[in-house]
Amino acid sequence: MSPSSKQTTEPDNIRVRIYRFDPETDREPRYESYEVPRTPRMRIMDVLDYIHEIKEVDFGYRWLCGTKKCGTCAVNVNGSPKLACWEEAEQEMTIEPLSNLPLVRDLVTSRDPFEAFLAKLSPLLVRRRDYPGFPEPLSEQIMAPTVHLRDCIQCLACQSACPVLQQPDSGFAGPALLVALSELAQDPRDEADRARLADEVAQVFKCVSCYECERVCPTEIPIVSEAIQPLKRLVYRRGEAAAARRAHAFLDVVKARGRAEAAPIALKTKGISLNALRLALRLMRRGKLSLVDVFPKRPSPGMEAMRKTYQSDGDAK
Amino acid sequence: MKWRYAYFPGCSAKGTCRELDLSTHAVAALFDVELEELENPGCTGAREFRAVSEQLHLTANGRILALAEREGCDLVAVCDTCLLNLTETNRRLKADRAARDAVNRALASEGLAFKGEREVKHFLWVMTEDLGEERLKERVVRPLRGLKVAPFYGCHIQRPSTVYGAGAAGEAPALDRLCRLLGGEVVEYPGASKCCGFHVVSVEERIAVRMSGGHLSNAKSNGAQCIVTPCPLCHTVFDAYQPSIEREFRSKYEVPVLHVSQLAGLAFGLSAAAVALSRHVVGCESVLAHIGYGAAQAAASVR
Repeated sequence: MSPSSKQTTEPDNIRVRIYRFDPETDREPRYESYEVPRTPRMRIMDVLDYIHEIKEVDFGYRWLCGTKKCGTCAVNVNGSPKLACWEEAEQEMTIEPLSNLPLVRDLVTSRDPFEAFLAKLSPLLVRRRDYPGFPEPLSEQIMAPTVHLRDCIQCLACQSACPVLQQPDSGFAGPALLVALSELAQDPRDEADRARLADEVAQVFKCVSCYECERVCPTEIPIVSEAIQPLKRLVYRRGEAAAARRAHAFLDVVKARGRAEAAPIALKTKGISLNALRLALRLMRRGKLSLVDVFPKRPSPGMEAMRKTYQSDGDAK
Repeated sequence: MKWRYAYFPGCSAKGTCRELDLSTHAVAALFDVELEELENPGCTGAREFRAVSEQLHLTANGRILALAEREGCDLVAVCDTCLLNLTETNRRLKADRAARDAVNRALASEGLAFKGEREVKHFLWVMTEDLGEERLKERVVRPLRGLKVAPFYGCHIQRPSTVYGAGAAGEAPALDRLCRLLGGEVVEYPGASKCCGFHVVSVEERIAVRMSGGHLSNAKSNGAQCIVTPCPLCHTVFDAYQPSIEREFRSKYEVPVLHVSQLAGLAFGLSAAAVALSRHVVGCESVLAHIGYGAAQAAASVR
């Protein structure tokens, strides 16, 4: 059936554009437009079902539970990832597959790269010592830090919204994988080297802290503060990672100079490179950086007081 | 009417973006806004203190808040990331007694205490909310003549929603309204509320350059004559790294990047020198020429 020919134009109809592309048969993606009569409390999923069942359009979309549990129905709606079974249909919608995942066809993306990456993170509790067996008493204390993380349904909306994953070959795991890793890393029963996995495999320090993942998370997990920050702290405590060295250098410079100055932090972290020199010259030419900025500074009494306060918290460890 | 705030410029505005500090003071002076700069305030820790320890993050930010309370006024920041650190800590310490006590134990040696009496604001909001749009409009003596401005808000002035609320999206953001009342035309482009990538620039520069490069190229192809941002970290990526962006994308953009206080200052009649427009990697001659400087005068003003 031709998508745009037979359309009723009721003012209350929902107008939908659906992304269509089958990489095996189509040369390029296209959009098909439909009008769907609005019913009370209509969800995005109801709109997709209507087009599929009533209008008899054969297109690919995916769902399983329809109740915000299985995490398979997330799609991009007007550019932002949404759980189709849970969000209300908007009056005008452009519905596209999630970003940053390979396309199977139409609205269906492949979860394979996600599952493969998850497997590299040793996604089960690793326990080497004897433990009491089941049922094992679990205290609130053990479960409290990760209680929100366990709401993750792995719908991959956050992976789709992550701007770092948009960059080809970033090497970054992305928010959903960091949630999975962090849940284990914060479990006192776990004995795997989660700091190494967080740093070297998941590359947690490539997170830009933009909070896009939190914006789109259908289960409202505080991903940055409760999953990613604890992983960064774990890597920091381990101390070897380059990113941990940077956090250390940052703190040292604030304590020595009263504030975070770009040049000394860069020098301490990365040393001198051609690229850094090029940037430094560029900044010096416009008065944004001066040589004085890299010489040691005599601390004032006020700075001394600040430093003592910072240290009173045992900042270094 | 007089306004008085404790002022925390942050590390960028005192370092590589001194033009932000200078232009903020210059604009404040036009409106009888008194900015009491805090002495030895330290640092909000960017994203680094949080990666060291939660307690250090709270203490460093609690200390700045306590210094502001000692001044007896609300705290003004000019950097999105400082704003988020301070706002988040302020909320947390007001609500969480154990965290507040721990911070106050650390502050006691300096005779400081966090009491939870004050609010944190961005200087942009001081302009649009406290001074108010009417008062700003009256002060516009050199309107921007339809200058096509691409606003770039930065993440930490709008996200996470647990700090800023989720409803802000419906209303035209403060920065858009400000640009319009200054006589500029707001460029619509897909990058305005996205991330510049600053916080990954020292980990892997190429990621940041590619992220910001995408927004820059979008802004440019939608007609932007300049970018304006309330955050010196975004400014740094778009301005100081613009030559790197151009190399990566093999294109010439040459889009000037202005701090909010610079763009507003120009429209309020301040000279290019008063808003320190010469301290940019990407020259701002084209902006000055558009708003009525002669070409020679524009070139001279930013050298």
